Amino acid sequence: MDKGAAELQTRELTINMGPQHPATHGVLRLVLDLDGETVVKCTPYIGYLHRGVEKLAENRTYLSALPLTDRLDYISAMANNQGYCLAVERLFGVEAPERAKYIRTMVAEMSRISSHILWLGTHALDIGAMTVFLYAFREREWLLDLFEMLCGARLTTSYARIGGVRNDVSQEFIDSLYRFTGEFPRRIEEYETLIDQNRIWLKRTKGIGVIEADEAVNWGLSGPTLRGSGVSYDVRKHAPYDAYDKVEFDVPIGKRGDVYDRYRCRMEEMRQSNRIIRQCIEKLPVGPVMAPDAPKISLPPKDNVLKTMESMIHHFVLITKGPMAAPDGEIYSCTEVPKGELGFYFVSDGSGRPYRMRVRAPSFVHASVIPRLCEGSLVADVIANIGTVDIVLGECDR
Amino acid sequence: MTFNRFVKTVFLTEIVKGMALTLKTFFSPPVTRQYPKEKRPAAPGFRGLHALARDFQTGEARCVGCGLCAAVCPSKCIYIYTADSLDHKKIVERYEIEVLRCVFCGLCVEACPYSAVALTEHYEYSDYSRDAFYMTKEKLLANYDKYMGPEKDREYYRKFWHPTSDDFGTPANQAVFRGKQ
Repeated sequence: MDKGAAELQTRELTINMGPQHPATHGVLRLVLDLDGETVVKCTPYIGYLHRGVEKLAENRTYLSALPLTDRLDYISAMANNQGYCLAVERLFGVEAPERAKYIRTMVAEMSRISSHILWLGTHALDIGAMTVFLYAFREREWLLDLFEMLCGARLTTSYARIGGVRNDVSQEFIDSLYRFTGEFPRRIEEYETLIDQNRIWLKRTKGIGVIEADEAVNWGLSGPTLRGSGVSYDVRKHAPYDAYDKVEFDVPIGKRGDVYDRYRCRMEEMRQSNRIIRQCIEKLPVGPVMAPDAPKISLPPKDNVLKTMESMIHHFVLITKGPMAAPDGEIYSCTEVPKGELGFYFVSDGSGRPYRMRVRAPSFVHASVIPRLCEGSLVADVIANIGTVDIVLGECDR
Repeated sequence: MTFNRFVKTVFLTEIVKGMALTLKTFFSPPVTRQYPKEKRPAAPGFRGLHALARDFQTGEARCVGCGLCAAVCPSKCIYIYTADSLDHKKIVERYEIEVLRCVFCGLCVEACPYSAVALTEHYEYSDYSRDAFYMTKEKLLANYDKYMGPEKDREYYRKFWHPTSDDFGTPANQAVFRGKQ
């Protein structure tokens, strides 16, 4: 090799994407080795949002650890609360009353819609479609207002409780939510009018970030990210919890496993969620919203605390020491949150606090597949690939 | 290339459809709220700034210093210092909340057996110093007077935060689906 050729030789360029890059959805840092426009190597660095949720939970009672779960996947707090409470309920062997189950299913589906709307808006914004973002946030606002009406907070809801939900739904809430479900399918059509056939959108999404069904399973993907590859796996269908076995819904799946198919999956899922909410409202039974036979696990009614001895003792011990009926043992329980399969693994030593809480976060698994999707693709598609796996770093770093 | 596809490609039909929707929305009423001018009313039960309820008869703080709020608080931001008075009654010397560490989960309100600690519906409390967010007992009582005005001549009680035994059963007017309206 002569001297002239050595000077012309190109080198790989290492660039840093994030952690403050606006398109990485939070504090994800990617180190990209580029050969021109092609990504040769992609290394995700996580941990910028690590708060030690699992360790914190070991020093909290089962009730006090609940607000920590709001902050895992902070755009679908309702679904996280449900997953946490369900795991603790299964550990304790209590069951929520029928009405609470329907309410929980309903609010979890609301949070699925609100999460998918946010995903759609930001994903489209990253790829270059600004209008969808504005339209999507209009509907999200409605849902967040409903959450506020229900539990007093828009994002960090802390609504579900071990053995039920914190408070009953109001008539105003039910009416407004039913109006929303009537309106929402039309709104989804609006989003689709904007991007579904748009040639720029198709060019940016079709055939990008392809992952085959076998490989998707091997990576441990779940949720719409897995279903986009054509694997029909949904915890709501395969291990129904709460009221999912009493409502009808389909599990939409894709074919090719590219960015476009995962987008289609999420759009269809929003329609199915809308259907589930409608059925939940129509079938909503009357009855209590907290398990009446769990006085040693859930807080007693407020008027009894100052009237009866037992209630007062239960109230004080539950808050200071935690639930009294904790069995020894361990449990893994999983639910389908908007991102995928969220699992809680508890080890209990019989005290009122979890001995160990482990969170199987879908975003953590999905972050690990980003290098597989990005390597060999163009640098512009990295953004599309980050968007399509739908990660939230609060859950990924925990 | 079929004829349809040819027409679609040449006349940009999907783009025209999208633009038509944008134009339609252009003439519909705006959904944006002009925030500092138009304030958004908080829903009842909204978890805003903290307050300590006064007893409507004596005007004193209702808090008895049992410490349940401090025990349940997930971020451990409530500090209570109690002492014995001369007639051996427990008195609350200091009751302090570090608002900047609070996560607004509302568990303290739920845990309080006397409905003494409250979350008001006031949500605009930004300030330039951190000291303003360290709430002493006096500040908390002042918050109650300021944002819970109508509560002054009756006992502070919020059904939302303090479900009674009726709510654990089947209340008569429970919300159900009332049919399409």
